[in-house]
Amino acid sequence: MNGIVSFFSGPAYIALYTYREGIRKKVLIGFLVLSLLVIFGSSFISSFLDPSSETDIDLKLIKDICVTAISIFGVLITIYISASVVPGEVESKVIYTILSKPVRRIQYLLGKFLGAQMIIIVNLLLMGVLFFMALYLRQGVMPTLLLWSLLLTYFEFLIVSAFTFAFSCAATSPLVPTIGGLFIYITGNLTEYLKDVEHRAGQTGQALDKIIGDIASALHAILPNLQNFSIKMQIINGQPNDPPTDVLIPNLILYGLVYCLAGFACAYLVFWRKEV
Amino acid sequence: MSAIIKTQRLNKIYEGALRGQDVHALKDLNLEIPEGQIFGYLGPNGSGKTTTVKMLLGLIFPTSGSIEIMGSKSISSSTIKRNIGYLPEGAYYPDFLQGEEILAYYGRLYGLKGKDLKRRIDETLEMVGMQRARKRLLRGYSKGMRQRIGLAQALISDPSILILDEPTTGLDPIARKEIRDILLRLRTEGKTLLISSHELLEVEMICDRVGILFDGVMQTVGAIDELLIQRDMLIEVDGVTENIVSEVATYGVKLEDRIGTRSKFRMEASSSMYDVFELCKSKSLRILSVTPRRESLEELFVRVIGAAEAARR
Repeated sequence: MNGIVSFFSGPAYIALYTYREGIRKKVLIGFLVLSLLVIFGSSFISSFLDPSSETDIDLKLIKDICVTAISIFGVLITIYISASVVPGEVESKVIYTILSKPVRRIQYLLGKFLGAQMIIIVNLLLMGVLFFMALYLRQGVMPTLLLWSLLLTYFEFLIVSAFTFAFSCAATSPLVPTIGGLFIYITGNLTEYLKDVEHRAGQTGQALDKIIGDIASALHAILPNLQNFSIKMQIINGQPNDPPTDVLIPNLILYGLVYCLAGFACAYLVFWRKEV
Repeated sequence: MSAIIKTQRLNKIYEGALRGQDVHALKDLNLEIPEGQIFGYLGPNGSGKTTTVKMLLGLIFPTSGSIEIMGSKSISSSTIKRNIGYLPEGAYYPDFLQGEEILAYYGRLYGLKGKDLKRRIDETLEMVGMQRARKRLLRGYSKGMRQRIGLAQALISDPSILILDEPTTGLDPIARKEIRDILLRLRTEGKTLLISSHELLEVEMICDRVGILFDGVMQTVGAIDELLIQRDMLIEVDGVTENIVSEVATYGVKLEDRIGTRSKFRMEASSSMYDVFELCKSKSLRILSVTPRRESLEELFVRVIGAAEAARR
């Protein structure tokens, strides 16, 4: 038990320090302020629409803008922070002072990754709380569906974060991992189309198309399907206190954790013999 | 005295992207640093100093050869790392933390907590003279104060070995003196210090031994007193006249400076001092001082590197 506590105490301190340093980053604060302005502004924009309309178009607009803002700004924050926590310390030479202490590389990585997750969660919660309050004040009903959506959104970000982090461990600057993170996010949201590609390529019977189909099939099997985590349409069109339909929350959490573990394992494989 | 840090035939090759772009940064380095001494690790930029230090700390890995620290080859083990403090050159410490918060963070990474941690923070802050600034944010620190906090983080675990990269560079003369005094105090406490530096005057003042590296090869290593050759003697006398000046020239003595009847003569280290004493006595010259002058570390450095460059050509 003592061994476990001592193993995790180092990463816990590194995570806390990473969090305290990360939340002060100006770019991050900029993203957060922008997202909060968009969420706050959605109520203002919707006030120009007819509130007596039976379709609740103003409410749908608020929900649409807020869900999209959380998704876009949230992933930008996720990619930015995951891409920069390790290269930033290499650049500032702080990593030398840490790895020269009795801290294993896996502990260091764990600490940095957990610190990044703390930042992502806090930012997501701040955006979520404002959206939650906007909906609650507008509808007078606890929008519990939003809480489920936030949970699923976090696990979507967790996958993006883990792979961006893996890219960052191989890179010397945050640029390449940022591009890598965007690639994962975009392709992860397009994996459904890969199935179509596979299907259509298989219909022609040509050798080249078959290869393309096989590649599409392999990518579909390997890449995470981030669309699984989206309940945007239900939030926009459904009742605010409905339970989420069409998704199995525990399965999605497990799905997110497995991909996160895979991403983190890649990060460690890259970093354990990396010369810093 | 036993070697607390020892490398044997240590080599490091940085592989380039293309064939022929490999850089052989360190070539068969054999280094022994005795316990309880201050070792100055010198060399021009790109000579391999930082590469050596990084390998000792396990930040990069040797291509071949071995490293032994405190008799152990497992240099990445917690036991060994607990006994090493490291101050990198120009490291950044976050502005939003107080001095003592930085030390608490690094102390916890060593596994210190509770009263032990508090005691060590107090001791190290006291040692580096930062007790009064402990609650101040780092953004309010001067460069010298930051360097002292950097030194304090290296000392937080009370390590036996300290590896310091340019500990006095960029500091004003007072801050340099203070850092120098701290380092000398650490030596008297029995700690071993490896100082990688370009500040040759500082190194000469505090180091027991030096090693000069060039192009990845150790050119010379040894005790400073043994390496710096005696160059000449400076004799200051009173009662000198023009006749005496020309007379002493025959003894291989040269006039260096003269104000009134006081003169400074320089004589080769190989000259017979007794002859000069006899001459002074016979001419009723009053000897004010006799100062043996040895080569400075800077001169040694230039001589060694010059010879190495010539040999390479």
